[in-house]
Amino acid sequence: MIEVFLMLFGEAVMVFGALGILRFPDVYTRLHAASKCDTGGAMGIILALILIMDAPAVVRAKFLVLAFLIAMINPMVSHAIARGAYKYGVKPKVVVDMYAWDNP
Amino acid sequence: MAQESLLVSAFYVLIFTALLVTYRVLRGPTLPDRIVGLNTITTKVVVIIAVVSVIRREYYLIDLAIVLLMVNSVGGLILAKYMERRAGHD
Repeated sequence: MIEVFLMLFGEAVMVFGALGILRFPDVYTRLHAASKCDTGGAMGIILALILIMDAPAVVRAKFLVLAFLIAMINPMVSHAIARGAYKYGVKPKVVVDMYAWDNP
Repeated sequence: MAQESLLVSAFYVLIFTALLVTYRVLRGPTLPDRIVGLNTITTKVVVIIAVVSVIRREYYLIDLAIVLLMVNSVGGLILAKYMERRAGHD
C-alpha cells in the first residue's frame, strides 16, 4: 500500500518539476525546480520500485545504490551549473543578489 | 494486476514529462537553460530505465542506469566548467 503512495508522490513531483521548468522566468528558478523536484521524484519512484518488485536482495541493493548516487550527484551538478551560469553572465531577475554581495 | 498497471502508468508519465522538458532544450533563451533541461531529461531517462528493468524483469538494465547517471554527472560538470571558461566572450 505504501508503495502506491510513494509512486504517486514521485509522479506528481516529476510533473510539477516539468511545469516549473516550463513556466519559471529565470535560469536559477528553473534550476531550483529541476534540482529539488527531480531528485525527490526519482528517489520516491525508485523506493517504490524496491517495495514493488520480487527479486533477490542483490538487485534491491543495486536499486538502493542508484538512489544513493542520485541523492549525491544531482545536487552537486545543479550547484556547478548555477555557479557556471553566474560566471557565464546570466544575471538573476531578483532584488537581492547575495552572490554579488559576497564576491564583488 | 494492479501493480503492473501502476508501473506502466509511471513509464508513460515519465515519457510525457521528458517531452515537456524537451521544449526548454529546443527553445531555451540562453545556454544554461538548455543545460538545465538536458540534466533533467537524463535523470528522467535513468528512472525510465529502472522502471523498464522492473517491468520486463531483466535486472541487468540497472547497471546501465547507474553508468548513465555517472556519465551525466561528469558531463554536467564539464559543461559547467565550459560555461565558466566562456565568461566574457559573448
